[in-house]
Amino acid sequence: MIIVKNLKRYYGTGANTVKALDGVTFEIKKGEIVAIMGASGSGKTTLLRILALLDDATGGEYTILGLEVSSLPESERSYYRLTEVGYVFQDYALINEMSAAENVYVLSMMEGKSKKDSYDTALEALDKVGLKDKYARIPDELSGGEKQRVAIARAIAKKPHILFADEPCANLDTTNSRQVLDVFKELNEKYGQTIVMVTHELWHTNYVDRVITLKDGNIISDASSRYRKY
Amino acid sequence: MINDIKVGALIAYCSIKRGNKKTLAFIVFVLSLIFLNLVFLPSMIGGLSGMFTGFMQDYPYGDIVIEPGKDNTYINNVDNVLQKVRAVNGVRAATKRLDAAASIEHKQKVVGSTITGVLPTEEYDISRYPYIISEGDFLGELSRNEIIIGAMLVEGYFGSEIYDNLGEVRAGSLVDVTYSNGVKRTYKVKGIMQGSFEVVDLNALVHYKEIEDVYGLDGSKATKVVVRIENQGTQDKIKEKIISAGVKEPVFTWADKAESILRQALQSIGAINVMSKFVSLVVGAALILIIIYINVLNRKKEIGILKAVGITPRSIVLSYAFLSMFYVLMGIFVGLILYFALMFYFQANPFRMYETIKIRPEIDYLFLVQNILTMLVLSVIAGILPAWMVSKESILKAIWGR
Repeated sequence: MIIVKNLKRYYGTGANTVKALDGVTFEIKKGEIVAIMGASGSGKTTLLRILALLDDATGGEYTILGLEVSSLPESERSYYRLTEVGYVFQDYALINEMSAAENVYVLSMMEGKSKKDSYDTALEALDKVGLKDKYARIPDELSGGEKQRVAIARAIAKKPHILFADEPCANLDTTNSRQVLDVFKELNEKYGQTIVMVTHELWHTNYVDRVITLKDGNIISDASSRYRKY
Repeated sequence: MINDIKVGALIAYCSIKRGNKKTLAFIVFVLSLIFLNLVFLPSMIGGLSGMFTGFMQDYPYGDIVIEPGKDNTYINNVDNVLQKVRAVNGVRAATKRLDAAASIEHKQKVVGSTITGVLPTEEYDISRYPYIISEGDFLGELSRNEIIIGAMLVEGYFGSEIYDNLGEVRAGSLVDVTYSNGVKRTYKVKGIMQGSFEVVDLNALVHYKEIEDVYGLDGSKATKVVVRIENQGTQDKIKEKIISAGVKEPVFTWADKAESILRQALQSIGAINVMSKFVSLVVGAALILIIIYINVLNRKKEIGILKAVGITPRSIVLSYAFLSMFYVLMGIFVGLILYFALMFYFQANPFRMYETIKIRPEIDYLFLVQNILTMLVLSVIAGILPAWMVSKESILKAIWGR
């Protein structure tokens, strides 16, 4: 599903060059839950942003769903972000002036669905994350965990092939973190959702199939999760 | 494109519905002032210009004026001319006048002036002369030894300090008039007229027959025929009708005369008006752009997020165009309320200039529509430009500033 070969991301030039990713290679199969771990500055968020087409690589190739996406023009990248992948931000990144339902159904409308279909899709996605009854609330009226679940609903409403999540529990307490991870687990089990998640919490590996660990822009380990128990 | 419009409209709608109401009120207020700035001064200048042209209609020229041909001092057979003019459909009233140059003397003070011979009863339908008598009364049909003096010729009235005046002349005072042909007459001042306009206030009026008598005219001569029409705006049409009715003398509309006499003044006012409109437009455009740009910058992260989740840049740009149009429409609405409130206030309480001149602003609906359309076009540009610039930025820069 995802094939990454010798992926590089450098910032700056000459002596000031920072190698955020320095030739990373790996593959992710359909239906896997993968955790990308590493210390701060190891390149895990950079990797995730490149795969989600939010950032560009300096070198290397990456193919997602059989499509060489690194050279796509912006209009196609936008369409790819809309239809093929979902992205869950660390800080939720919800639009504060939109209700939970509107945050979700704006994407369905963008895809060309009618208002009613978009609304139904949004409610279905909110139902999946257990927030159907809070569809009319704006982000300021939701807890951190609820906001993150709305962000997940937004990401999964379009039924993307891959769900990327950048430290989705970073701002949450353990209870809320569990709720979010339970949602990921359920999506994976019920719908075979492929999930790539950046985290630095070891206990999160209880929820994943595989852990890729980065250090200074390089993969230092890529192994099945020894801890998966959920 | 339809999806872009729908999504753009949804984003704008949510932003308006749940955005900060105080910020919205502030933006609308500022935009209403921008609109007011665009339309208020030109309305005052329009009023000023209209006041001058109004003077021309109300006193010397009426709506249409007929004057002697190039080589003639008088319109000959003027009663015949009047008959033709009065028969023209659309003419409300017409009268004849005789202008004469003269000097007026009172207690050793002498001033030069134009004395106009009028038919007093006809003037009630033609001019405002009978209605601007600030002291005494207007002439009557039998006023053969009486004169109306312009206020600027009388000490103590506005403007008299600028020009030579006759000193303390009052209604009932006697003045000696020496006409250009040397004939001298003594008149009792029947009234003092005050029109706050030099062409009126530096002149004097006597009965038409008095001038006829002084110059020994045969009873059917005039220096002008002044015509009032039923419907304003039809001057050119009526002028053509008068010519078609067989009037051989030159026929002018008040605008023709105003153009030649007030050309420089009106051109100056017009130039100020154009400059004021231009500056207001530039300032307005810049302010709208700044307001929307600040708004866009405050929502830069939101734009980045929308792009990151797959909303097209076109939808985002359209949402700001809608938002900007909404702000401007609200600004125009509030601006119109303020504008009409000010207009009605100044109509009731005219702005006073030189103590006696009252300027009432002029409401020009076509001009208002032009400005509304201009503001709307500006709003679209002001909405699209900054949003387009931000939407071109990388997602990471928009969201996280890097």
